[in-house]
Amino acid sequence: MSEPSTQANTKTYWKSLNELAQNKEYKNFVEREFPENATELNDGVSRKGFLRIMGASIALAGFSACRRPVQKILPYAQQPEDIVPGIPLFYATAMPFHGNLVGLVVENHEGRPTKIEGNDLHPASHGNTNAYHQATMLEMYDPDRSRSPRRKGKKASGQDFISFAKTFFADTDKRIVVISEANSGITYNASKQTFLSNFPNSQWVSYESFSEEHVLEGNKLAFGQRLRSHYNFMNADIVLSLDDDILAATHPNNVEYAKQLTTRRRVTSRDDAMNRIYSVENGFSTTGSFADHRLRVKTSEVQAFADALASTLSIRMNGLSAYSKVNNQFTDTPFLVALANDLVKAAGRSAVSIGWDHSPEAHATVAAINVALNNVGQTVDYLEVPHLGDIDQHAAMAEALTNMKAGKIDAVIIIGGNPVFTAPSGWDLENALSSVEEVIHLSTYNDETSKKASWHLSRAHFLEAWGDGYSFGGARSVIQPQIQPLHDSMSDIELLNLITNQSYTTGYDLVRNTFRGIHRTNFDNKWTSLLHDGVDRASDAPSTKAVKQNGYPNSGQAAAAVMSGVVMDYRKANVQLSNSLRPSAPEVVDGIELVIKADASLYDGRYANNGWLQELPDPMTKITWDNVALMSPATATKLDLENEKEVTLTAQNGTTVTLAAWIQPGQADDSITLHAGYGRQGVGRVADYDTEQMAGGRNVFPMRPGTSAVAGTVQVSATGNQYPVSCVQDHHSLEGRDMYRQATLEKYKETPDYSSFAYVHKYEVPGIKEAAELGEDQPISLFNEQTYPDYEPQWGMAIDLNSCFGCGVCVIACQSENNIPVIGKKEVGRGREMHWIRNDRYYIGDKNDPQAVHQPVPCMHCELAPCEQVCPVAATTHSNDGMNQMTYNRCIGTRYCANNCPFKVRRFNFFNYPKEYLTTGEDPDIIQMAMNPEVTVRFRGVMEKCTYCAQRVNRAKIDAKINTGSVKPADGAVLTACQQACPADSIYFGDLTDEQATVTQMKRNERNFLMLEELNVRPRTSYIAKLTNPNPALVDNTMPEEAH
Amino acid sequence: MSKYQYVPEPALVKGDHDFASITHLVTDVNLRPTPKAWYLLMLPANALLGLLLVSIGYLIWEGTGIWGLTNPIGWGWAIINFVWWVGIGHAGTLISAILFLFRQDWRTAINRFAEAMTIFAVMCALIFPAIHVGRIWVIYWVFPIPNQMVMWPNFNSPLLWDVFAVSTYFTVSLLFWYVGLVPDLATLRDKASDKMRQIGYGLFSLGWNGSNRHWWNYEKAYMILAGLATPLVLSVHTIVSFDFAVSVIPGWHTTIFPPYFVAGAIFSGFAMVLTLMIITRKVYGMEDIMTNDHMEKMNIIIMVTGSMVGFAYMMEFFIAWYSGVEYEKAIFILRATGPYAWAYWIMMTCNVISPQFFWSKKLRTNVTFTFIISIVVNIGMWFERFVITVTSLANDYLPSSWDYYSPTMWDALTYIGTFGLFGTMFLLFLRFLPMIAIAEVKAVLPQADPHNYDDNGTYHAPVEEIPEHVTVAKSNNA
Repeated sequence: MSEPSTQANTKTYWKSLNELAQNKEYKNFVEREFPENATELNDGVSRKGFLRIMGASIALAGFSACRRPVQKILPYAQQPEDIVPGIPLFYATAMPFHGNLVGLVVENHEGRPTKIEGNDLHPASHGNTNAYHQATMLEMYDPDRSRSPRRKGKKASGQDFISFAKTFFADTDKRIVVISEANSGITYNASKQTFLSNFPNSQWVSYESFSEEHVLEGNKLAFGQRLRSHYNFMNADIVLSLDDDILAATHPNNVEYAKQLTTRRRVTSRDDAMNRIYSVENGFSTTGSFADHRLRVKTSEVQAFADALASTLSIRMNGLSAYSKVNNQFTDTPFLVALANDLVKAAGRSAVSIGWDHSPEAHATVAAINVALNNVGQTVDYLEVPHLGDIDQHAAMAEALTNMKAGKIDAVIIIGGNPVFTAPSGWDLENALSSVEEVIHLSTYNDETSKKASWHLSRAHFLEAWGDGYSFGGARSVIQPQIQPLHDSMSDIELLNLITNQSYTTGYDLVRNTFRGIHRTNFDNKWTSLLHDGVDRASDAPSTKAVKQNGYPNSGQAAAAVMSGVVMDYRKANVQLSNSLRPSAPEVVDGIELVIKADASLYDGRYANNGWLQELPDPMTKITWDNVALMSPATATKLDLENEKEVTLTAQNGTTVTLAAWIQPGQADDSITLHAGYGRQGVGRVADYDTEQMAGGRNVFPMRPGTSAVAGTVQVSATGNQYPVSCVQDHHSLEGRDMYRQATLEKYKETPDYSSFAYVHKYEVPGIKEAAELGEDQPISLFNEQTYPDYEPQWGMAIDLNSCFGCGVCVIACQSENNIPVIGKKEVGRGREMHWIRNDRYYIGDKNDPQAVHQPVPCMHCELAPCEQVCPVAATTHSNDGMNQMTYNRCIGTRYCANNCPFKVRRFNFFNYPKEYLTTGEDPDIIQMAMNPEVTVRFRGVMEKCTYCAQRVNRAKIDAKINTGSVKPADGAVLTACQQACPADSIYFGDLTDEQATVTQMKRNERNFLMLEELNVRPRTSYIAKLTNPNPALVDNTMPEEAH
Repeated sequence: MSKYQYVPEPALVKGDHDFASITHLVTDVNLRPTPKAWYLLMLPANALLGLLLVSIGYLIWEGTGIWGLTNPIGWGWAIINFVWWVGIGHAGTLISAILFLFRQDWRTAINRFAEAMTIFAVMCALIFPAIHVGRIWVIYWVFPIPNQMVMWPNFNSPLLWDVFAVSTYFTVSLLFWYVGLVPDLATLRDKASDKMRQIGYGLFSLGWNGSNRHWWNYEKAYMILAGLATPLVLSVHTIVSFDFAVSVIPGWHTTIFPPYFVAGAIFSGFAMVLTLMIITRKVYGMEDIMTNDHMEKMNIIIMVTGSMVGFAYMMEFFIAWYSGVEYEKAIFILRATGPYAWAYWIMMTCNVISPQFFWSKKLRTNVTFTFIISIVVNIGMWFERFVITVTSLANDYLPSSWDYYSPTMWDALTYIGTFGLFGTMFLLFLRFLPMIAIAEVKAVLPQADPHNYDDNGTYHAPVEEIPEHVTVAKSNNA
C-alpha cells in the first residue's frame, strides 16, 4: 500500500499546497501499521481495514479541482472475512470510568470504530449509555492525544521505555510509590498483588479526584467494613437523594440508576404508580430537577439534615437511638416531617443516598437510616469490593507524600489520572514529585502531570487495548479492543506487567491468562461467549439475544432473565450496624460556602480535550465551554452581581480564581458552586484555556482543601470586567406557553386529558370544528395533506417528558451518529450551535426556588412542514415514509426554512465548520476516521437538521426488504441514535402504520400532545406530558402544578 | 368676500423659460467639461463601492458567518437592506408611471431623476438576496432552467415569487426609463460637439429624429410601459411582503403586510427622492424646474403614506389583541417593551411622528426642514424593516430559542458599501444623462399649449381670467 504514496509524492506539488508536512506525518502513521507488538485478533476479523482505505486515499490524493480534492480509493486486494464494505460490524467491549465498567457495543465500519452503543446484556448499561460513553469515540481519534512516550519531555519510543524498565526495575528493593486511578481490572489487580510482593518496599495508593473513599469509610464507621453502597431503585417507592446526583454521568453507575429510577416513573395507564423522589442539595442537579420535592440547602448543611432526619426517624424506627438527641435547624421542618412520614410508610421500599463527596460521618448516618428503614437487601446492598482494599486511601496518600518529600522514594509510577492538575493544593504534589528520581506517568495526554514526570507513557485508549474489570455492581467484562493502537501506546496492564516482571507481554495474553484462571473448564467456549456477550454469564454458550452482526443491536429493557444470567462477583455483605456509631457535629461554614463539583461534561478534566463534551450544554445551566461561579439570585443580589460579571473568588486556603458569575435559580443561598475540570494548559487545542476565544474555563482544583465537596468559606469580589459566557439558552421561562405540559399523578387520574389542547386552552384546536363538519379529523389545510397516503411505513416519534432528566446523552449520540461538527465557544456564543437535538430546560415558578423541566427537541418532521413550503429550490421535501428530508446538495442556503420553523430545529453551516474540524491540525486524517461513513459531511452554506436517522431507517428498510420482501421493518428494528442512547427510554420511534408498535401505543396515550398544535403543521414528533408525584402533605410547599 | 375662491394653478416651471433655455439648462450639465466637484464626490462614492466589493468578496470567501446571523435569526441586515432599497425604488415608478397615467404634469420635473433612483436602488437591493445565500455559486437554481436532472424550483416559495417580481420590476423600470430617455438622448446627440458623444448618444437614441411618426410610436410605447409598470409598483412590494406574510412566524404572518409594505415603500421612496432632489437642484441650479411646489406635493404624499404606515402599526397591535393568538400578542408587546424596544421607538418616532409636521404649510415648504425629515423617514423605514425581520425571529414560539441579534462590522460595511454603488451610479447618471426629462418638461411649458399662440403663430403668455364674483386665494407661489 505504500508504493502509490511515494509515487504521488511529487514534492513541488505538495509543497506548493503547503501540505507536504502533513503528508509526511501521514506516511509515518501508515508505516506504524504493523508495530512489532501487534496481535492478530483471533476472532477471524481483521480490524486494520481502515488503514488500507486511508492509506490508499491519501496516497493518490490529487488536487484537480478547485472545489474539492479528488481522492481515489482502492478495493481490498484480499477481502478479509466478514467484512462487507458498507455493512458495519458490532463488537462488544466495556468502558472503564472511575474503575467501573459499563458494557458497550461498538459499531465498526471497515475496521474503524465509529459509534458507541450500550450493551443490552450488561447490567450497568441495559443497552444504553451516557454522554461520556458516547463521546469517548472522539477521544480515541483525538489528534492531540499523546502519540509516543516521552523521556524528560523528548519523544521516545515504547521500545526505549521497555529497555529502561528492564534495567531500572531489575532492582526489586527499589522504593516505589504507585499512584493509580481507580481500577477494577481483574488482571490489573492480580498484577498489583504480584508487584507489591515483588517489590517489598513499594506502596500503592489509589487516587481519584472525586473518590468513593468517603462512602467506603462511612460504611466502615457504620458497619466496621469498607463497603460500597449499591442501590436498586427498582424496589424503591421513596427515594431521598442527599446532594447525590445519581442521574448525572458523573456518577459511575448513572446509566443503571437512571434506568431504574425512570422505569419506576413510567406511567402508561391511569392505574400505574410512580416512585417519589426527594432531593436535598445546594446546586440544581439533574436529579434535583427530576425530583418531586427539592429542598435547597447549603452543602455544608446536608449532613445536619441527615442527622435531623435520623433523629426524627429514631422515634419510630429501631437502631437510630444514637441520633435521638439531635436538634438542629431542620428538626420539625414541614419538609423533613413529611419526608420522614413517607420514608416510614415505605420502610423497606425506600432508599436514601448521599453524595460521594460528603463526609464519612454523613455516609455512616445515611447507612444507619437505610438499616433502620429495613432497606438493606431491598433497595440498597452493601458490597464487598475486594480491589478497593482495607486502607483509607487518603491516609495512604498522605503517607506517600511525606515519604516522597523526605526523599525516601526512588520512583513514582502514576497509572492514569492527572494528579498534578487535580490534587488539592495543600498536598504540594509537584514538590513531592520533584524529590523523586523517576516519575513515570501513563496518560492519554501529555498533560500537566506528564510534564512533571521523567517518563511520560502514552496510554492506549480502551477501544484499542485489551483489559478487563467489573461493573459497579460486580459483573465481569472483557474490554475488547476495536482497532490497533493508533499511536505508540501501552495499556495499564501491559505497563504494570512490564514493571512487575521486567518483560513485555501483550495485553491480549494477559487478559486471556486471567480468564483461563477463572474458567478452568471449557475455556474456549466461555471465552468466545464472553467476548460475544461483553459480559461474563453463567452459561457457556453465547447469549441467544445476540448482538446482531448487521443492523442495530436491540435496546430497551433487557428481560430480567437475561440479566439474572450475569455473574456478579461482588458479595453482598451481611451488615450489622455498629453500636458505637454516634452523630458527629457537622462542620459549619459561616458566610458563603464554596462547593466544588465534578463537571457534567468534563468530569475532573479528563474529558477536557473532547470537543463534543465541551460543547455539550450543561444539563442545568446550558453553558458550554466554560465553568462559572453559580449562585442563587438572592446571593447575586447581595453581592451585586449579574450573569457574566467577572468575580475573583478567594478560598479559605488563600488560592484565588477569576471567572464569570452566573445566576442559577434554585441554588441555595450563600452557596457558590464551581465545576472542576476546566482551565487546563498545554494539553490540547480543545482543552486549553483559549485566550482568543476566551474559552476553556478556569482551574478550581487548587481551591480544594481535600476531596470533599465543601471547600470552606469564600470571599467574592467583582473585578468590574465582563466575561462572555456561551449559553445556548437565553430565556428560561415558558412565558405561560403550553409547549411543556405537566400535572400531578393525582390530577392525571382525575382529568386524564390534562395535556390536551382543549383542556389547556379551554377551546378546541382552531379549524377542527370546521374539519369535523367535512368529516375530517384534522384541521383543514391549503396544502396536500399527505403526499403518499398509502405508503407504509410512516415514521413517527414520541418523547416521554416524564422520564427525561435532561442529561444530554441524546445530543452526543446524535452528534456522533450524524457527523455534527464542533464549532467553538465564539460561534456557540453567537447562537449557532449545530446540535440536531437540543434539550430545552425551563424554570417554572418562583425564581429563587423553581421547578426545572427538560424537553428534548429534535426535528418535528411536520406533515405540513412550513420549511418545505418556503424553500425556493425545493431542497427540503417530504419522503414517502413521512420524513421531512434535507437535500444538502440542492440547498442554496437562504435560511428561509430555518426562519419559518416554529420549533427552530434547523441548523445552518454559517462557516465551513467541518473543514475546520476535519482538516486542520497536524493529523486531520485521524479525526476523519471518527466520521460515520453513512452520513454526508455538510459543506458551508447548507442547512441541516435531524433526519430521524434516515441512514438507520433506510438500512432497516433494505434489510426488511431482503428478508421479508416488504419495506416495512419490524417494530424495534430502527432505533434512532438518541433513542438508543437514552438511559431513561424517553424516546420512542417507529412505524405509525404498525398498530402494535411501541411508538403507536405511546401516541395513543391520553397524555400525548403536540407542540404548537394550533399551527396545524402536524408534527410527527409528539410529547407525552410529564407527571409529578408530590407528597400531599407538602402540596403547598411543592412545585407549581401545571406549566402552561 | 365671496364664498368661492379661485385657486390659481402655479406654473410648473418657474422663471422665464422657453424651449431653448430648458434644453440649455439641462444639457449643459452633460455637455460642459466635468466639474472638479464631481470628481470630489466620485472619489468617496468609488471608495464605498470598493468597500462593497471587498465585503462581498470576503463574504463569499468566508461564508455568511461573517454576519451577525444566528440560529433563530436567519435573516438580518441583508434582508433588511434588500427590503429597504426595493422600497426606495418604488417612488420612481410611482412618479413616472402612476402619476403619468393620472396626468399629473408636475411629475415631469422629477420623473427621470426618480426613475434613475429606482433603478439604482433596485440594483443595490438585488445584491442582497443574491449574496445572502449560503452557496452563491448555485444561486441560478432559483431560476426555472430546464436541466437534465429535472430539478425545478418550488413555486410555493415566496422567495421564488420574489425572484420573478423583483427581476420583472427591474426590467420594466429599466425599459421605461430608457424609452423615456430616447428623445432626450437625441437632443444630446444633436447638441454634442465631439465625436465620442455624438456616437455614444447617437447609438442609444436609436435614430430618433423627432418626426411625428417617432413621437406617435414613442407616446404609445411610453403609455404601454406606464400601464405595465403601474401594477408592478403594487405587486413588487406586495410580494416582498409575502416573504414575511406567508410564513408562520408571529409578527410576520400578517395579512395587512401587502398594503402596509407598499405604503411604506412609497413613503421611503419619496423621502429619498426629496433627499436627492434638494441636493441636486441646488448644485445644478435646477430650482426653476424642480420647484418648491414639487417639494410640497411630495411632502404631502409623505404625510399621507406616513399616516397610512402609522395606521398599519396601530392595526397590527389591534389585530394581535383581537386575534387572541398569544404568540402574536407577545411579539407585539415585546417589540414595544422587549429587548428591541429601542429600535421600535426609533421606528415609531421617525415614521409616525415626523411626517405629521407636514400638516403645517410652513414646514412642508421649508427646504431645510424637508431635507431633515426626508432623511429621518429613511432611517425610520430602515428600522421598520429591522423591527419586522429581526424581532419576530428573535422571539418566536419557543422561548428556549430566543436569542438576541447583534450585527457585525461586515453587516454594516456591506450596507454602507451599497451607498457607494448607489452614489457611483447616480453621479454617472448626473454626468452623462439628462437628469430632467427635457421633452416632457417642454410639453408642460405654456409655450407647448397651442392656445397660447395667435393666428400668426406669435406666442402670448396666458392670462388667467378670473370671474368677478370670486376672490383669488393666495397662490402657492406668491
